[in-house]
Amino acid sequence: MLQQTSYYVHCAVIGFLVLFLAACRTSDEADRPEVGFVTNGIASFWTIADRGANAAAEAFDVDVSVMMPPDGPSGQSRMVQSLLARGVDGIAISPSDPANQAGLLNEIAQNTYLITHDSDAPESQRLVYVGMDNYEAGRMCGQLLKEAMPEGGEVVLFIGLLGQLNADLRRQGVIDELMDRSHDNSRRDPVDRVVANERYTVLDTRVDQFDFARAKGQVEDALARYPELDAMVGLFVYNPPQILEAVREAGKLNQITIVGFDEDDVTLQAIRDGEIVGTVVQNPYRYGYESVRVLASLARGDQSVIPENQFIDIPARRITADNVDVFEAELRDLIGN
Amino acid sequence: MKKIFGILGVFVAVFVLTAILEPNFLTAYNLQNTLRWTGLFGIISIGAAFVIITGGIDLSTGSVIALVGVLVPMLLVDVGMSLVLVLLILFGVLLVMGIFHGVLVTKLNLQPFVVTLCGLLVYRGLARWLAGDQTQGFGSAFDGLRQLAIGRIPIVGDFGLPIPFVILIVLALLSAGFLHNTVWGRYLLALGYNEEAARFSGINTSRMITVAYVIGVMTAGFGGLLFSLDVNSIQPAVHGNFYELYAIAAAVLGGCSLRGGEGSIFGVVIGAAVLRLLYNAINILGIPTQLEFAIIGTVILVGVSTDEIVRRLAARHELKTTRDT
Amino acid sequence: MRVPGEMPLLEVQGITKRFPGTLALDSVDLRVGYGEVVAVIGENGAGKSTLMNILAGVLLPDEGTIHLDGQIQQFASVKQAHAAGIALIHQELSLLPNLSVAANLYLGREPARAGWINKETLRTQALRYLERVGLKCDPQTLVATLPIGQRQLVEVARALASNARLLIMDEPTSSLAEEEAEVLFDVIRELQERGVSILYVSHRLREVMSIADRVVVLRDGQVTGRLAQESVTRDEMVRCMIGRNVSRIYTRKRNEPGPVVMRVERLVTRNTKKRSLSFCLRKGEIVGLAGLVGSGRTELLRILFGVDMPKSGLVTVAGRPVELKSPRHAIAAGIALVPEDRAMQGLILEMSTQPNLSLGALYRHYLGWKLLDRAWENDVTKKMVSQLNIQGVQASKPTRHLSGGNQQKVVLGKWLTLHPHVLLLDEPTRGIDVGAKQETYKAIDELAARGMAILLVSSESDEIIALSDRVLVMQDHTIVGDLDHTELTERALMQLATGSTHESPIEEESIGEVA
Repeated sequence: MLQQTSYYVHCAVIGFLVLFLAACRTSDEADRPEVGFVTNGIASFWTIADRGANAAAEAFDVDVSVMMPPDGPSGQSRMVQSLLARGVDGIAISPSDPANQAGLLNEIAQNTYLITHDSDAPESQRLVYVGMDNYEAGRMCGQLLKEAMPEGGEVVLFIGLLGQLNADLRRQGVIDELMDRSHDNSRRDPVDRVVANERYTVLDTRVDQFDFARAKGQVEDALARYPELDAMVGLFVYNPPQILEAVREAGKLNQITIVGFDEDDVTLQAIRDGEIVGTVVQNPYRYGYESVRVLASLARGDQSVIPENQFIDIPARRITADNVDVFEAELRDLIGN
Repeated sequence: MKKIFGILGVFVAVFVLTAILEPNFLTAYNLQNTLRWTGLFGIISIGAAFVIITGGIDLSTGSVIALVGVLVPMLLVDVGMSLVLVLLILFGVLLVMGIFHGVLVTKLNLQPFVVTLCGLLVYRGLARWLAGDQTQGFGSAFDGLRQLAIGRIPIVGDFGLPIPFVILIVLALLSAGFLHNTVWGRYLLALGYNEEAARFSGINTSRMITVAYVIGVMTAGFGGLLFSLDVNSIQPAVHGNFYELYAIAAAVLGGCSLRGGEGSIFGVVIGAAVLRLLYNAINILGIPTQLEFAIIGTVILVGVSTDEIVRRLAARHELKTTRDT
Repeated sequence: MRVPGEMPLLEVQGITKRFPGTLALDSVDLRVGYGEVVAVIGENGAGKSTLMNILAGVLLPDEGTIHLDGQIQQFASVKQAHAAGIALIHQELSLLPNLSVAANLYLGREPARAGWINKETLRTQALRYLERVGLKCDPQTLVATLPIGQRQLVEVARALASNARLLIMDEPTSSLAEEEAEVLFDVIRELQERGVSILYVSHRLREVMSIADRVVVLRDGQVTGRLAQESVTRDEMVRCMIGRNVSRIYTRKRNEPGPVVMRVERLVTRNTKKRSLSFCLRKGEIVGLAGLVGSGRTELLRILFGVDMPKSGLVTVAGRPVELKSPRHAIAAGIALVPEDRAMQGLILEMSTQPNLSLGALYRHYLGWKLLDRAWENDVTKKMVSQLNIQGVQASKPTRHLSGGNQQKVVLGKWLTLHPHVLLLDEPTRGIDVGAKQETYKAIDELAARGMAILLVSSESDEIIALSDRVLVMQDHTIVGDLDHTELTERALMQLATGSTHESPIEEESIGEVA
């Protein structure tokens, strides 16, 4: 009896899945190239990139599948494999962990056109990298902090994950700028070492693995551990709001200088209110747009879209109280909201 | 009580050691934070404990937290419903989910692991779909409501008791009262130890197990509400990920047996406190984040093994004394 | 047939085994010659299983020696007994149904080279042993697809494949049809010719008469009869098996029963084959329910307690029809059950005495907000502990640590707090010591005297005879007899239970586990 019930349940579930998958599948239009755009996670940042990618898809007459893996590298390989299985004509990916994803990246390169966006994998056979220079963006962040706090002080950095090239470069850029070092993006300071010169001391870098509650908790713990702390830098999109929240609750907004990254609504509002000094923003819309534009051309056999240095630079911008309103208006325009 | 000696010992040891190594640990600010996190995680751990006491398990906690975290700001901010209405809807949704779990477990005889694992998948998917993977938040319009999560009741100087911790204490007292002083609590314990004998004693075991799952989902939902008010920025794909494991770990640390029956609410609160204390200690001592899990896992093992060893020694002692008499 | 030689294959001397509260085997001697079939018979609890388990290495004896081939042996494990050539074939077959016949024959001893099983060798060797037991089936057949009788033969083949010289067969025909049993007997005779010895445990006296060279009768752990083949008769065996002085175990003053409390009418269960069940219980009456194991006694109790559903039928308690959908409903109707399996169904072993005693009555004794009524719980515990003389009770001591008899009293006490109309007792004295038995009898007697109607299932016939006002005898899921206490004798019970007075070809010659 029970066995029978479980049999029926199985059948029902499988039937449901089949229907569900069938409904999800968009109808193929003949002969239009299809390209894939794979992100490294799920965030509003990527929603903007999604918009850009779709805008380009319309402009250049291709189909684009935007894929956002919820679980990092394993999700990426799963999604890439399904794209390859469908025989797409090109894939743009933001590799979560380029050093260890050589196999996956090669697999793409062997089957179709591979380009990277947002985070580069220079060792792979990618044809071009669309994005900003994260190292330079990090230095821009450091520059903001230096301007707001010329007398120097103690700094803690907060980041979602290390080991991912764009995150590592961003962090290194901030440190190198504060330490007044030369521009060299191959330098790496170990995570558990204090880095200091006569003015600035980078005490620690805390990693939260995308758990927002944990991100907030780590800010609180840093505030408790370093009562004399002067500044905090949040390097992933959700870090600045969590820093702001915890610092505000601790009543230390006057003491702590906050510099952010990316353009969370809360971050922008705080810049307007003078609670956050400034942020460095990327242009995800352009990432999506340019990636799809390049892939569309490649799919039609046009290689001329690839520049000599294999790098399409979408420069980062500094947003401070001076230009936050303009930027926000631009952003609203972009996402039509 | 015997079972939580070890974990109580771990708590005291970590507390004292951290305080000695890093005096800033004892600042009012840091203690408040640790208490607040203990409150938030303790609330969901109590729910997990109720389910575990019946011999079941609830893996859906984290996803319920995500679903609530998405649903409440969407209804309040985007739809603009009144708070009372939103809370009523929330209550209804959670009740249905809990009953659903309970009925699948008791009437269809599905394994709790499977039922709640599917819950984990389904609710996470629903949360992401509802929010379109967009980060949700309350903005700044609900600062009054947010005091539930971030507010404090001033005690001395600049030390105040975080409201989530106060809520946890109230909930713990109510739960302990329910478990040890009501007929229903007695039924839960009895069926947790031996479901068949409980049924042979005239207990409606199906209904009681369902009650436990409802309590599990309700506390997860309530905890989820507080979590979302606290972080005010809910990314549906990651919010609450693995929190069921924290809840289960806290319940087990606090003396609940996964075989069912055993469990004390006081122990669960201590278990949740130990976990939060460890996280805090790791950060405040500047131990690299990468070592976090390794340290927590080790400490939990030490605590649980100590309990087991203490219990065996006690049993051997008991055997000896009974043989002597 | 070979004449038993000078030196027997197996010589058991003075085997004694004690369990807490009972002497399971009391200095038992046993000889089995080469190629001899020896039957061991006796009532339930006579010590047969204990003896077999000792020979097969499952249990260690407290005293006594075992010689095999003249060599003294001490089996610390089943493996050792096996290695010495003794194989136990269980009542419940121990084959793995999802493996092939050949794989089962050589489980754990597969002919293999470098870890790879040699399938061809496996097959040919398996065929040889299957032939010996007269089984014509492909060794690759899955055991699950074989009928039960053939599986039994596979078991025998497996024992032979491991070079067993003494097969211990525990109720081998209990689940076989008559023809299948005949095949098994042929195989046994055949094995005998080849010098394999067999120790045969059965209740079915006709079987025993037809295949055993000698019969050993056990009662209360002692050998009460050794019968050579020429003197094996049914009467003689029965005489050796019974014969305790019944009146000794408990003397009870019978009361005049009151009005009918419970009436069961035309009850049809899933297993009902012929007639539906109808009977009634009167106030203050103890009704014994006798029958062989598997005759449907426990099943009937489970239905009356709402655990299982009947197909049809009507049950009324105190004149009102009751719906027995669950134990909860039965309890509300005034029916209580002391189940056979105390540890699994009767008690929450991890809880102390007080919550166990009050558990059944909590549904009607509580304060506002469903709060526990501690004062009432304390009172009831004190009352029950003194009324039933429960010993060893401590506030925080789990009932696990109570003795079997005291545990049983707690189960009984749990229901007395509810004052049920009808009390169902399933093997109430199983596994408890003699003193506690007496107290349990006394408690049951007093409950009846106070007006409770009691339905008593017991496999100990003397217990039923001593306590019952009336005995219902069940056979094959129906009631075949209703005896007043004046007509009660062990022999009468046996005759009814084994169907000697009814037409029932299969059960006709079986005996034992009576009542």
